[in-house]
Amino acid sequence: MTSTTTTPGGLERPAVRRRRRKLTFDRVSFMAVFLILPLAIFVIFVISPFVQALYYSLTDWTGFSPTMDFVGLSNYVKLFGDDIFLHALRNNVLLAVVVPFVTIVLALAISVMITIGGPSKGMIRGLKGSSFYRVISFFPYTVPAIVIGLIWAEVYDPSAGLLNGVLTGLGLKGFADFPWLGDTRTAMPVSMFVIVWSFVGFYTVLFVAAIKGVPAETLEAARLDGAGRLRMAVSIVIPQIRDNVQTAYIYLGIAALDAFVYMQAMNPGGGPDNSTLTMSQELFTVAFRKGQFGYATAMGVVLAAVTLLFAAVVFTVSRLTAGRDVPRAASVRRAEAAAPLAKESRA
Amino acid sequence: MATVTYDNASRIYPGSNIAAVDSLNLDVADGEFLVLVGPSGSGKSTALRMLAGLEEVNSGNIFIGERNVTDVPPKDRDIAMVFQNYALYPHMTVAENMGFALRIAGVPKEERNQRVREAAKMLDLEPYLDRKPKALSGGQRQRVAMGRAIVRSPQVFLMDEPLSNLDAKLRVQTRTQIASLTRRLGVTTVYVTHDQTEALTMGDRIAVLKDGVLQQVGTPRELYADPKNVFVAGFIGSPAMNLFTADVTEGGVKFGTAVIPVERDTLGSATQVTIGVRPEDVVVSLTESTGLKVEVDLVEELGADGYLYGHSEVDGKRTDIVARVDGRIHPNAGDTVYITPKTGHVHVFSVETGERLGGAVVD
Repeated sequence: MTSTTTTPGGLERPAVRRRRRKLTFDRVSFMAVFLILPLAIFVIFVISPFVQALYYSLTDWTGFSPTMDFVGLSNYVKLFGDDIFLHALRNNVLLAVVVPFVTIVLALAISVMITIGGPSKGMIRGLKGSSFYRVISFFPYTVPAIVIGLIWAEVYDPSAGLLNGVLTGLGLKGFADFPWLGDTRTAMPVSMFVIVWSFVGFYTVLFVAAIKGVPAETLEAARLDGAGRLRMAVSIVIPQIRDNVQTAYIYLGIAALDAFVYMQAMNPGGGPDNSTLTMSQELFTVAFRKGQFGYATAMGVVLAAVTLLFAAVVFTVSRLTAGRDVPRAASVRRAEAAAPLAKESRA
Repeated sequence: MATVTYDNASRIYPGSNIAAVDSLNLDVADGEFLVLVGPSGSGKSTALRMLAGLEEVNSGNIFIGERNVTDVPPKDRDIAMVFQNYALYPHMTVAENMGFALRIAGVPKEERNQRVREAAKMLDLEPYLDRKPKALSGGQRQRVAMGRAIVRSPQVFLMDEPLSNLDAKLRVQTRTQIASLTRRLGVTTVYVTHDQTEALTMGDRIAVLKDGVLQQVGTPRELYADPKNVFVAGFIGSPAMNLFTADVTEGGVKFGTAVIPVERDTLGSATQVTIGVRPEDVVVSLTESTGLKVEVDLVEELGADGYLYGHSEVDGKRTDIVARVDGRIHPNAGDTVYITPKTGHVHVFSVETGERLGGAVVD
């Protein structure tokens, strides 16, 4: 904030005194284009729908009538007694726990092999043919999610699916008509597999780029210090790309909390016993099939809250595990302020 | 402790047909401080990285002690390296950085801490053990990198231009520290630098490389007094030796109007030779006399000494000449002086091969 007004405070503290700047056309137009305009767009198209959604969630709007009644928090009360929604919430939480973790572990493993998994002698490089694998691993990401869902729904088909065909071909006759997506025990795991499968390639490419940014000398130094490939990955590489991992975790968590497209393509009805039903699917059904917009909006608000909570948890965990860095930074500053410069010149 | 031997070791980078290091033969004695020196692209760093195992050896062998390490991965070579940019692990504290190798080796925690503490004491790093590298100055980081190498007590220290990121004053201080430290520890050290002053001041012996080919190995004194060829002559010594082509004449070699006596046997049938005279080995005369007539362009005063930069006509070509003069009483720019080499201080090289003709200069 450049102070264009003089306050008594400003006069008392000459250290923060600033030259008063004139509101020239230059400055005004700059503010208009770079501050006021974007802010206005943000308020109109982002903030106001949020507020609007909050309001609708407090009404009994059907979505198709011009009138609605204010019903207070009764939608939310109903929501937390709604077994189907709570089941969907549980499914989403499970997805948000499993999918990012598995995806990131796999993506890290593959990216490490591609970048530093090569021979332990000579220059640090990936496995033989790593550039080929890098391209291959990206393929699933280039296919639209809906297509992936439909393809895998076919693969999992009990009688005509590729998976059962292969399994029976291997002599496992018990799988002849096994309904992968129709059994409460397997529907969720196989759906998760599809989501993980579709994301691993992208995060592999992301992590490969991050690992390439790690100074090669630190890897060489680790090698001379006696570290093998696994040790190098765990002790040297991953700590240096933890910011990327954290970001990936949040993206994946948000994707898993949605998961609408995959689930809708594979099990449009929410799976056996609603075992793969997600909040977004239920929201969609309630809003457009049952015509309860107010209630569906309340679900949307809860979904947004859960997503924010997830991001907060990831940040907190990340900060706690990064651990000592934060308090230490402060102690270092203190030590530096205290340490006489003479120390250095003695070096 | 161990010796290091390069036996015809070559490195050819993929996609190139010129060897970055060409059939290097080099023996480093146990506990010796050997400096690899050469201009950029001379293969000195590649040679060091071959010894570290960070660069493949395309032909030949490398031995540490009696052990052929050519195909041994770096982690099993028992060597420690100090990198030009230090390569500290940014997410670890100074103590963790220094103790990392010991942790991997499975050294118990108490012993590890004790060894880290000892090394830190040696390097004045004790107050900084809990800091991360980013909270250290360049000099401190350099010492941590040294400490990381010392803690390991390896068979060989490898140093790849460890001082080039320090400022001039700190570089001179650290130079002597490193030299005395490695001598105290008695560990064989191979040190790479492009700075011939560093090489001369630190090395027990110096190996000069150019274009991947070893030019000469010897003590600093040998390299200074008896350079094997024109390249070594011009590379070792600062300011560089004056080198120019001169005609062979009756009884010796022409030096301006003077004749330097050189034995006929040394010259063979050559009609021209390259002669070299160090700036400190010439006599400068303001009065007209025999010798090389030099127009003074500039005189650099360095306090006790000064260096006279001038040019002369040799063989119809403009040749730059440097001469050491007294720091207070010296000719000035624009003057004409006559220089002659001190007796016995002229290096003679073949024009065709650049190889030295005749023996070392007299000291």
